[in-house]
Order: sequence, then structure tokens, then C-alpha cells
Amino acid sequence: MPDPVVVTGIGTAIAGVRGVGDLLGPDPVRGDDDPTDRITGRGHRYKDRATRLGLVAGEAALRDAGLPTNRATPPHLDTGVVVSSNLGNVDTVCDTVRTIADETYLATSPMLLPNTASNVIASWLAITFGLRGVNLTFCNGPTSGLDAVHWARTMIRSGRVERMLVVGVEPVTEPVRRLTAPDRGDTPADGPSGPDTLFDGAVGLVLEGAEVAAARQARVLATIDRYARAGSHDEATRAVCPPDAPVGLWFPPERPSGFRLHQAELPSAVRAAAELDLTTVLGRSSGALGVLQCAAGAAWLADGGPGSVLATAGVGAPTTAEARFDDATSALVLTAGASR
Amino acid sequence: MSALITGMGAVAAVGDDVPAIFDALCAGRSGVGPLRGFDPTRFRARHAYEIDDRPQSGEDLTLRATRWLEQAVQQALTDAGHDGDLSDVPVLIGTTLRELRSVELSWRDDVPFDLRDLHFGTALRRRFGATRTYTVANACSASLYALGLAADLLELGEADSVVVAGVDTITESTYGMLDRVYPLAPEAVRPFDRDRRGMLQGDGAVAIVLRRESDGPAGGRPHARVRGVGLNCDAYHPSAPDAESIASVIADAHRRAGTKPAEIDLVMLHGTGTPRNDEAEAEALRSVFADDVRSCRMTAIKSMTGHTAGASGLHSLVVAVRAMREGRIPPVVGLVRPIEEVAGFGLVADRELRAPVRTAQVHSFGFGGLNAVAIVEKVM
Repeated sequence: MPDPVVVTGIGTAIAGVRGVGDLLGPDPVRGDDDPTDRITGRGHRYKDRATRLGLVAGEAALRDAGLPTNRATPPHLDTGVVVSSNLGNVDTVCDTVRTIADETYLATSPMLLPNTASNVIASWLAITFGLRGVNLTFCNGPTSGLDAVHWARTMIRSGRVERMLVVGVEPVTEPVRRLTAPDRGDTPADGPSGPDTLFDGAVGLVLEGAEVAAARQARVLATIDRYARAGSHDEATRAVCPPDAPVGLWFPPERPSGFRLHQAELPSAVRAAAELDLTTVLGRSSGALGVLQCAAGAAWLADGGPGSVLATAGVGAPTTAEARFDDATSALVLTAGASR
Repeated sequence: MSALITGMGAVAAVGDDVPAIFDALCAGRSGVGPLRGFDPTRFRARHAYEIDDRPQSGEDLTLRATRWLEQAVQQALTDAGHDGDLSDVPVLIGTTLRELRSVELSWRDDVPFDLRDLHFGTALRRRFGATRTYTVANACSASLYALGLAADLLELGEADSVVVAGVDTITESTYGMLDRVYPLAPEAVRPFDRDRRGMLQGDGAVAIVLRRESDGPAGGRPHARVRGVGLNCDAYHPSAPDAESIASVIADAHRRAGTKPAEIDLVMLHGTGTPRNDEAEAEALRSVFADDVRSCRMTAIKSMTGHTAGASGLHSLVVAVRAMREGRIPPVVGLVRPIEEVAGFGLVADRELRAPVRTAQVHSFGFGGLNAVAIVEKVM
């Protein structure tokens, strides 16, 4: 068995959320604060909202894990970054093409050029915290957050790094509102979070090999267990949930309208699990969802929650011909932290 | 670790499959042309390396990148003798700009676009039944970075074969901002030349099929062997490269591959034709290779493909593999007066060079200081 990969830190940048326990619901999160106000230091003028949110959550996660948050000398060669975001940089792209049409290329800002590339959030996380290990960005649709956690573990297992900072982030900007509106005329509702609102925020996790965590006497919140990405929700959950390992808490995917998912149809190990739909707590969170699920699940396990945690993202599609839903489902299991 | 390349496919401005692209590059035929995709009155720059598949000049379509990706993957699967069912084969797609050109058209011009097509998994599910798909948005080193991830998956036993791909299309937002960056608008990409003006983007896609070598032969003759892929991040600047970090990723690739600079016959340079890249790349190479910069050959295909961004690393790799097979190295075009930093380098200029290539080193660097270097060798 390879060395397990464990969660040792969690940080959030979500309005109204003061601690990760707030993610466990059941009430929708409310707050008028802007988490990007917590950003410290200078030189943030040209950073987009997603990058600012990511930096706040990333710093909080590193601090929670007891790790330095300044650029170190020598740099952290053994720490990498993985970001999940689907809509993170569409604002720069949309604003810029509008500017070009109205006022030609002369009115664009070359300082914003790095923001057109979808890796800009991960890039600033690495620069700000001096993280020189592998640096990855997944823009992988609804499953993206869980996929990012899986790849963070893969990078640790393959020996490329000892530790990964994982950040899931989605900003609410005018282009995001319009592009995600069902009929392009309406924009999603304001007010308390819920299935009709969009999530605006970020969450960070620190993952490391259990031995590395133990060597620095880090607090272990949870262990990353089985993962699968498959064509349907049923297939993905069956791949990660053997009958003899009861799930205590299930985080379901965001469900598009018209898609039904009944707990009774899930594998037997999941049928008695409590269900917590983060979409109703935080709003529709796209690429951030999987990372939010892992953060909330780790907090629940660290608090002594029984059994394991199952997170699923993306509803998949029963057949390849069924184009109405998502291209796949990712499923990931978290278990209690390795005993020490 | 070693993995075998069993299939290759590619499209670019210079050709619509790997043999056509390679022949064009060897002939020194550039894909640069007058800008066709966008309203030229909005820009100072007049050139780009486009794939000309739009209905007419100035009118654009959504999902062009997705279609090129499907073409490249199909070519690679056919080449590998694969049946085309990817339901249990991971597909890693490296890209800088995803389908953001479609987002631009949707946002500004109200062209219908389903956001589920912003990542490439949706189309690959429909076309190939693929479900283990990952859109890796790792800037201009994305496809070579994805090759490193694929090698890790094979080594960890999480897959027996993996499709690695890269794709990018020129977006209007990046074209416009780049137009603000350079003092004079580039008319062509001229890597390592004193009179270079900067970078121009190129359209394209590329895909390879990779399988674990220790599984034994699977029929057909593999194209080449991937010996190792080094990956790192400068953590230094959002767009400027860092020579020291590039040197360390080159060294890391050699360490993983178990090779030494003296064994390298060909370096596929990143060579974007921007002063910052060219100088940092040359400095890094000299610091790792020392006098070996003289004995190994080097080329930079962006001089003819344009900067194909997320696809560019794997574009260079398939050209290197083809060079091994044919013993021909395409030249850098437009290299008339080399910059001082490459003095003594074995750069191939003007015309193709006939020379045996057994081991090649492929460079790919991206915004955010994302560096990937691969070592590939001929299968004897």
C-alpha cells in the first residue's frame, strides 16, 4: 500500500463563513462581508476576483496546516499547487473583447494579459507563497474540484512533491452571471445562498503524505481514499463504495433541473448516509464544489463523524447519447485521519 | 519509467496531419498569413498562424478548437490501431484558452454556446465515449505538462494507456492584448533572431497515444519512447520566465530519464521569438549543457506554426519523433542574425538538415513560470 495522503489544513474565503464548520449547514450561508477585503500586502491591482479569492483561501489553508505563508528562501520546492475553476477568468476575456469592439486594441491593458490564461490563479498562488513544485489548473466542468483533489494526491504519490495546496474557486462577475443564466435574460437571484444563487468564493486544502505530516507532527483531519471518474453517477459511486464500508455522510452533486437522483438507488453502503447538498448551503459552485465537499467532509470527520464521507460531483449521463446532463461523475471517499 | 508512443495526430496552420506538418516544416513553409478571424480594423497587428476553416473572412464559428482536438485524437487512435472506444482510457488535454473563443462569441455577439463545452470532456464523451477526461489549463506548457501527468499515471498503475492531447485557438482578447505588448507588430515569429519583434499565436491541436512499455508489445511498431518528463514552476512572475528555474527543470528531466546532455542529438526549443523567452531559454540551456550546446542540433518550429500555446509542447514532440524516423530536422525560418546568447549553438537554420536523431529533448514553458521538459528516444 502506498503512503496515504491526508488533509492537514483547510481555509475558506466565503462571505459569512467564519469557520469550516459553517459549511456543514443545514442553513444557507449569509454574509455581507467581501472575503477579498482580507487580502494583505500590495500589488493586487491587476488580479482578477478569482485570484484574490484564491489567495485568501490558500493563505488560510496554509496557516491552518501550520505552514509558512510568506515567500521563503530557499523556496518550497516540494510543495505544489492545484486549482479548480471553470469560470475564474471569463471576466477578463469578456470585458476585453467588448473593449476591442468599442475602442480597438489600444484600450486594452497588457497588464491583464496573464489573466487571459486560465492558469492565472495557480500562478499567483505559487508566486505569493513561493511554491515551486508542480503547478496545475483543472477546468474540468462540474467534476473539476474532486478531480483536482485526486490529482493532488497523484502528484504526491508519484513523488513529484511532498505536499499540495488545493484551491477551488468560482467568482461571481457580470459575465459569469450572464453566461450561466438559464435563458440569458435573467440573472440568478441575490440574497441568501441556495440552489438558485451562484457561489462566490474559494476554499483551500493542504494535502500531504501521511509520513511527511507525521514527521512535522501536523494535525490530520482526514485521509483521501478511493476516487473514480465515470460516465454515470451510479457507475462512479459503485466504483468507490464497497458494501462493507458504510458511508456516514454523502455530499451529492449539483443537480441540473430535470435530473433526479434518489438515495435509495445508490449503492447499499450509502443508503443510510446523511445527505448534505452544499448547493443549498452555498449556491451553485461549479469547479469549487468538489473542494468544498472535501473541506466540509474533512471537518465532519475531524469532529468525529461516523463512517466515511462520499462526495460526488457531476451527475454524469446514463448513456453517451444522453447529452442533456454532464459528461461524467467523479466520486471520492474521505475517511478519518490515519491513527497516530 | 518509460512509455511508448504508439499513435500520433496533429493539425496546425501548416498541415492537417503529422506527415503533412512535418513535410511543410522541413520545406521551410510557414503557416503565417493575413489575419482572417477578427475584424482587422480593431488591431495594429496584421498576421497570425490560423487554420483557415471559417466560412468567410471575418465571420467566426464556435467550437473550432474542439473539432481540431477531435481530429487529432482520431488520427492518433487510427495510427495506433485503436478501436476508438476511450471509455476506459484517460485523456489529458492541455490548453491555455480552452473554448474561450466560443465564450467571446457568445458574450459579445450572442452566438449560441453551451457552457458545458467550455471543457473538452463533453465533446470527447460524445465522440469517443471517454469519461476519464481532464482539461488541464496549464498555459503554454499545458500539453507537455499533461505528458508528465500521463507518465505518472502509467507508472502508478492507474492506467495501461493514456491519450495525451493539446489544443488552442487564437482568442480575440489575447490577440488584442499582445498587440499592446510589442513596440512593433510582428509579421512572423522569428525565434533567436536579432530582428524579432515578438510572438504571434497559432491555431492547432495534437494528440498521442502512450502506453506502458513494461506491458510488452501490443502489435505495430511504436514511434518512440518517452524516457522522462520534468515539471516545475518558477513561482517568480506571472509572465516572465526564469532561466535558473528552466535550467533546473532540464536537469530534472535528465535525472528522470537517466540521460546526460551529451546524449541529446536534438533540442526542440520553446523559441517564441520574444526577447525574454529566447534569452532565458538560451541561458538555461548553456548552463546545463555547457560545451554540449555546440554538438547537438536545435530547432524551433514556432517560426512556422506560430505559438500554438497549449498544443505547442506536444507539437514539438511529434516533430521530434518524426525527425528520428526520417533523419531530417526542420530549420528555424527567419533566423538570419542570431542573438548573442545563442552563439555557438547548433541551431538548424535556412533549410532542413539531414542527420540521425536518436535522443531528443523537448522544451515547453508557459505563463506563470510553468516549465515542462521531456526526453524522448528512438525505438531501435
